Amino acid sequence: MSAADELTPAVVTAARKPRWSPTFTIGLILVGIHVAIALLTLFWTPYDPTSTTGGRLEPPSFIHWAGTDRLGRDFFTQIMIGSRIALIVGAGAVAIGAAIGVTIGLLAAFATRFLDDALAATLDILIAFPTLLLAMLVVAASEGASLWSAILALGIAMSAIVARLTRILAKRVLQNDYITASRTSGTSWPGVVVRHVLPNIWPTLSVNFALQFGIAVIAESSLSYLGLGAPPPNASWGRLLQEAQGTVYTAPIGAIAPGIALVTLVIGINLLADGLRDIGDPTRRISR
Amino acid sequence: MTPLLSVDGLTLKTGDKTLVSDLSFSLGAGERMGLIGESGSGKSLTAMAVTGLLPKSIVPAGSILLDGQQVVGTLERTLNGLRGSSVAVVFQEPLTALDPLMKIGTQVAGPLGRRLAREGKSPPRREVDREVLQFLDHVALPQPERIANSYPHEISGGQRQRVAIAMALACKPKLLIADEPTTALDVTTQAEILKLLDSLVRELGMALLFISHDLPVVATVVDRVTVLRNGRAVEEGPVKAVFDQPRHDYTKTLVEAARSFDNALEGTA
Repeated sequence: MSAADELTPAVVTAARKPRWSPTFTIGLILVGIHVAIALLTLFWTPYDPTSTTGGRLEPPSFIHWAGTDRLGRDFFTQIMIGSRIALIVGAGAVAIGAAIGVTIGLLAAFATRFLDDALAATLDILIAFPTLLLAMLVVAASEGASLWSAILALGIAMSAIVARLTRILAKRVLQNDYITASRTSGTSWPGVVVRHVLPNIWPTLSVNFALQFGIAVIAESSLSYLGLGAPPPNASWGRLLQEAQGTVYTAPIGAIAPGIALVTLVIGINLLADGLRDIGDPTRRISR
Repeated sequence: MTPLLSVDGLTLKTGDKTLVSDLSFSLGAGERMGLIGESGSGKSLTAMAVTGLLPKSIVPAGSILLDGQQVVGTLERTLNGLRGSSVAVVFQEPLTALDPLMKIGTQVAGPLGRRLAREGKSPPRREVDREVLQFLDHVALPQPERIANSYPHEISGGQRQRVAIAMALACKPKLLIADEPTTALDVTTQAEILKLLDSLVRELGMALLFISHDLPVVATVVDRVTVLRNGRAVEEGPVKAVFDQPRHDYTKTLVEAARSFDNALEGTA
């Protein structure tokens, strides 16, 4: 057989370009809208979010797109600011969860048997706690409820899940021949982590981060709903929902609007997560 | 002259089980030796012991002197300096020996960059890339630019093994360990890879430790062989002597098995 016979079919090379994926596109659009709105609120909102600009509990109109709340503040403005808070909390929680989780997970994967078992057991106990309960504990332990305590709480609660996933993924990658091959050519352990382990666990990890982002957004709403999230005047969707509870029959828009905002963002993130998996892994691109 | 690799009384144990016992051999610079035996005879473990990369559960005893450095019981950091500069390995499975998520060019650039750094050079990225292409060309890969830009799953098994060899060569090691480098390949590719390995080792003046269970394959590339059985060296000597007049019963069985296989092939041809 000559070397030319070993040539790969052109199809394989052509398929390397990621295919267009409708789920990813829809996810990107949904999340993109929320990100755009969140950025917009930094410079401009239809009304001042804290001042009364209409009657109390006005229904949706051209002047107030989503009506007004109990104090006569523009509701659409508050939903817009809610986007910003949801995204900050999601991103912050994922960043903290990833930083702590990946570090602990990698340590466990490289640790001696005893330390690894101890870490794994600790993680299992932490995961057995419901995320929300753990987050509530952290908020309660910190000095009062604030946006940052909510982010920290969710990040810590999330880190256990990320750590366990990282540990398992890293262990599986470390068993591969290419790790040994890389080691025999003189790659140090830190080099192996940066060159091989992180890139190989990233496709799975990034999907998990995206899903955790969605979970964090919902969890933040739950915390705010319970009064443990960002306190007023921060317009978290959870707090808006909680405030709308008493007037849900007379002004249903107060519950519907934050609900729609929450659902569209979380669905968007989940669709994005789905699409990410296909983009992150070149071996998957041809199998699609 | 002290030999490049000198293994003395090497014993590998896991728990109570002895996997390799009292194995001794030595290999001078530029020498080529075969380590043969059936699977489970401890050939690959011996190779891993030489690189200091045994699984944690396997405990080595005895002495392995590689390039003047004791390997058994030495700190990881010292050993890591030996890997790549003194020894490099080509593995059996080309399918799994390459990182699936890294482009071939980047993979070859890794060990190459480390060697250049060892030599005190830090050439710009473009020059490293050019040298990567040279190595890919050296192992007779067609269209090096395209291969360098491909992921492992986009090229064939034979091509991957060539890449693995290119990576080992990029280290310019004094000793190349080839751990059954042709076993996973089909017969025609096998012959090509052997020829390539043979000519490259000669050209670069490296020592070769060739591990295989396949006698004819070993005979084509090495000068001396050590026959392993159940972790013990049962016979040692020049290829011709061992294969023509095997003294040990086990070697006789191996040689006869290979011969009867050849005869069978010729009979049907």
